[in-house]
Amino acid sequence: MLKKIAKKRKIKKEYWQVTLLFLPGVIFFSLFTLYPIVKLFIMSFYEYKIGALKESTFVGLHNYIQVISDEISQAAVVNTLIYALITVPGQIVLGLLIAVFINKLSKAKVFFRVLYYFPVITSWVIVSVLFRYIFQNEGYLNYLIFSMLEVEPVHWLETRMSSLAVLSIIGIWKGIGWSMTVFIAALTAVPLELYEVAEVDGSNSIKNFFYITLPSIRNTILFTFVMLTIGAFNTFTPVKLMTDGKPLHQTEFVLTWMYKNAFEFRNMGYSAALSFTVGLLISIIAIIQFNYFKKA
Amino acid sequence: MRKRKSIVEFILFIILLTGAMFMMIPMVYLISYSLRPNSDIYQYPPTLFPGYYKLTFENYEYILSKSVNIFIYFKNSLIVGLVSMVLVALMSSALAFVLSRYKFKGKEIFFLIIIATMIIPGLELIIPQYQIAVRLKIINRLSGLIPVYAAWMLPFSTFMIRGFVDNIPREMDEAAYVDGASPLKVYFGIILPLMKPAIAAVSIFNFLTCWEEYGWAQTVISSEKLRTIPIYIAGFFGRNNFTQYGYVFAISFLSLVPIITIFITFQKYFITGLMTGSVKG
Amino acid sequence: MKNRKLLGIFLTLAIMIGLTSCTSPKQAETKNKQIEKNETVTNIVFWHHYNEQSNENKVLMEILIPEFEKQNPDVKVEAVSHDWADLHNKALVAATASNLPDVIRVDSAWIPEFVDADMLMALDEEFEEFNSVKEGILTGPMDTANVKGHYYGLGLNTNTKILFYNTKLMGENDVEVPKTLDEFFEAARNLSSEAAQKIWGYGEPALSGWNMLPFIWSNGGELLNEDNSKAEGYLNSEANVELLSKFAQLYKDGFLSGFNSGDIPMTDGFAQGRYAMIIDGPWKYAELQGGHADFTDYDATTMPAGKNGSIQVLGGEDISISRNANKEAAWKFVKFMTNEFAQVEMGKAGQIPVNKKALENAEITSIKNYKVFLEAIKTSRARPAIPQWSELDQILTDAVTNVVLKGADAKETLDEAARKMDEVLR
Repeated sequence: MLKKIAKKRKIKKEYWQVTLLFLPGVIFFSLFTLYPIVKLFIMSFYEYKIGALKESTFVGLHNYIQVISDEISQAAVVNTLIYALITVPGQIVLGLLIAVFINKLSKAKVFFRVLYYFPVITSWVIVSVLFRYIFQNEGYLNYLIFSMLEVEPVHWLETRMSSLAVLSIIGIWKGIGWSMTVFIAALTAVPLELYEVAEVDGSNSIKNFFYITLPSIRNTILFTFVMLTIGAFNTFTPVKLMTDGKPLHQTEFVLTWMYKNAFEFRNMGYSAALSFTVGLLISIIAIIQFNYFKKA
Repeated sequence: MRKRKSIVEFILFIILLTGAMFMMIPMVYLISYSLRPNSDIYQYPPTLFPGYYKLTFENYEYILSKSVNIFIYFKNSLIVGLVSMVLVALMSSALAFVLSRYKFKGKEIFFLIIIATMIIPGLELIIPQYQIAVRLKIINRLSGLIPVYAAWMLPFSTFMIRGFVDNIPREMDEAAYVDGASPLKVYFGIILPLMKPAIAAVSIFNFLTCWEEYGWAQTVISSEKLRTIPIYIAGFFGRNNFTQYGYVFAISFLSLVPIITIFITFQKYFITGLMTGSVKG
Repeated sequence: MKNRKLLGIFLTLAIMIGLTSCTSPKQAETKNKQIEKNETVTNIVFWHHYNEQSNENKVLMEILIPEFEKQNPDVKVEAVSHDWADLHNKALVAATASNLPDVIRVDSAWIPEFVDADMLMALDEEFEEFNSVKEGILTGPMDTANVKGHYYGLGLNTNTKILFYNTKLMGENDVEVPKTLDEFFEAARNLSSEAAQKIWGYGEPALSGWNMLPFIWSNGGELLNEDNSKAEGYLNSEANVELLSKFAQLYKDGFLSGFNSGDIPMTDGFAQGRYAMIIDGPWKYAELQGGHADFTDYDATTMPAGKNGSIQVLGGEDISISRNANKEAAWKFVKFMTNEFAQVEMGKAGQIPVNKKALENAEITSIKNYKVFLEAIKTSRARPAIPQWSELDQILTDAVTNVVLKGADAKETLDEAARKMDEVLR
């Protein structure tokens, strides 16, 4: 009898302690992230004009319908998708390659790790300003090409496709260091025995890479994929500072169009609806990625 | 065999070096223009390496002499970064521990919700978060920045650390429980020390994120003495296309120095920590 | 062991949170001093967008505010500098929580928006002295703060745009300073050249209302009807179609540039002789002197006149008091900023005054660079004062871009734009 009471006390004490560990994070998260998101979600069903203290009118799904049928948001989503489709695999492939190369070096590992991480820690604002000067019609790049090849300079930032290309290059450039760092960590965790066994069986480095390395870091690749996709959809600063959606909103990204609606047109309801619609889209993509990886 | 290996290594080295040069080009641009007069950036044709006589430290002198306050701004950014970092470290590691070791109804859904919230861009949440901050009376204080930053970085950190904890064998916990330990004792005594690399890794990343954040900082902070570095840098951008880029690049370079130092010093923790964390995913 | 660790962590946190709370704004400190000294010092917060590094900010912080505080020892002003766009957004966000600063320097284009968002105090209703203060300020700028008969701010400074031209290029190409719109288009053609570096006769930084309205108005066209409720019949009038086609032709023939993302910025382009003519505001002088001090081959004149005369767009800023402000203290500051002394000081720093006495003050009339602007202001018009202006502006910009850049048919595009505008105005 006494033992049972003691056990119950112990279990209660355990629950209390676990709750103590659990609660601060949950409370914090709920107050500063979850609650604002719920508020934003509710906002998306109203015609909420920023600043107006008068009542906003409930409009139901009107904002969502507008988001889906609006040409500009469609273009923005497409642009952001293309950007993601280029930059995410780009960062993964290049990051992985560089990680593998660095791992094979015996010296200068740290030197390269730091060098490749430089773009990651440089602020987007500085990066955008610098690259805008490089890609302007009479910027550095055109100057090099023009003076060397005597060809008509390309207006990089003035058409949809070339702007997307430029932004993608910058996106990959800035992100390689991050994925590289993640992959270096993952690579060092692959047990060496696997390679030694393969060596005995007469395998070479390239076979090793595809049959041992890749499968071992599969989960890391998936994780990086999801994180980079979310990051790609959150691209704002470079687009805003380099093209700001011009010309004619053809180079809008989801976030720049969201920002314009929220702060220039004060149409917060529409903006909120857009962010949740895109959020749904990203979730679907992420789920597909998960399932694909589970099967492969 | 050895000769072959070192040839391969040499080739890799060259490839990496070439790539690294591309990585560094904008950085060279930044340093180059920060050492030249403001009007130089408008020159055509643009030059990356001007003659020696052109180089000047006037931009740096201007910044360091004109604002004694720059040290205050550095201090502000430092405080915000450090406190946010510590808060996230504590909360995310505790959360990761519970999520990894304990079963309860809706655990996976809860975890998914945490991750899913990363999808909503911070830009959108400014208004609801601002209203909360006003009610908590933390507007125009550094303590208005910290909670939002911490909450923002919580999901990713929890995700990373949870993967790491999942890899720590349960037998260690079991052994402790058999010896009559309580969960808190297990957490603080055994798991937390083992989590150190993972915590260090996400902490560095979190600090860097806070150091550079602009949107929320600009919204909350109004007093000049409470500014963080990004707000200070933004003050150099002029309207009507007239920005004194010499100053902008100089101050940007200065603000990179502490980050780079921290990164180099701690980068070995970075690697070890991320290692097992992401393998499990 | 666990207890020590916990203690250590909590201690560290406590110290850090302590450090953070210690850095509270000046207001809290002064409030404490208040309680101690038993004085009544009111603190007001002033948000503006004078650039941090600018002369204007220097004048504000080193001359104006100290002088004001000397004259009004019971008021202390905390001035905060913002970027222009940031100020707009921040004010809106602050409004959602009724946390606005006492006084704001508002771009005149924002007034209708802010009034619609119920952010500003109607000065004519709240202060008896209002009318006498208003009399001392130019009518045009004062009217930018007028929404439906009430005044939501005082004019603080004004500006408009004038035509800057490169005297050297004019001489080389034997072109005279254009006085009419027709001469202007001709000049743009004749000043362009395809030398080693292309020269454009005219550079325009954007295709929005701020840029196009002067041409539209001078040419005899309109954007909307008189009470700003309809675009059909006005936006797509024949005059506008004709004007837009001319612009499109200018661009197609390669005589116009500057509004694309990759184009050379206005100031640099003008200073380097790439744009022969530009139209811009008083800040251009400061920019040219600051970034291109060796370039002096330029002069300026008023907007070329069209069928309706020479009409430019009136910009400028007003100074407003927010809804939740310290009324009396804020009013004192606002009055001060619009009195002759403050206006003259700011005028010397590059902000064209709106105070009538200041405009007659010798220090202002002797400023060479203001002469043409003051002339132009007499015939300048403000943009339509409606809260939906941003959306209309976007529709206009898109329409003009379509015609000029993409070569779309002017009539069709303007018809479509008018339709869209009317939808927004409904």
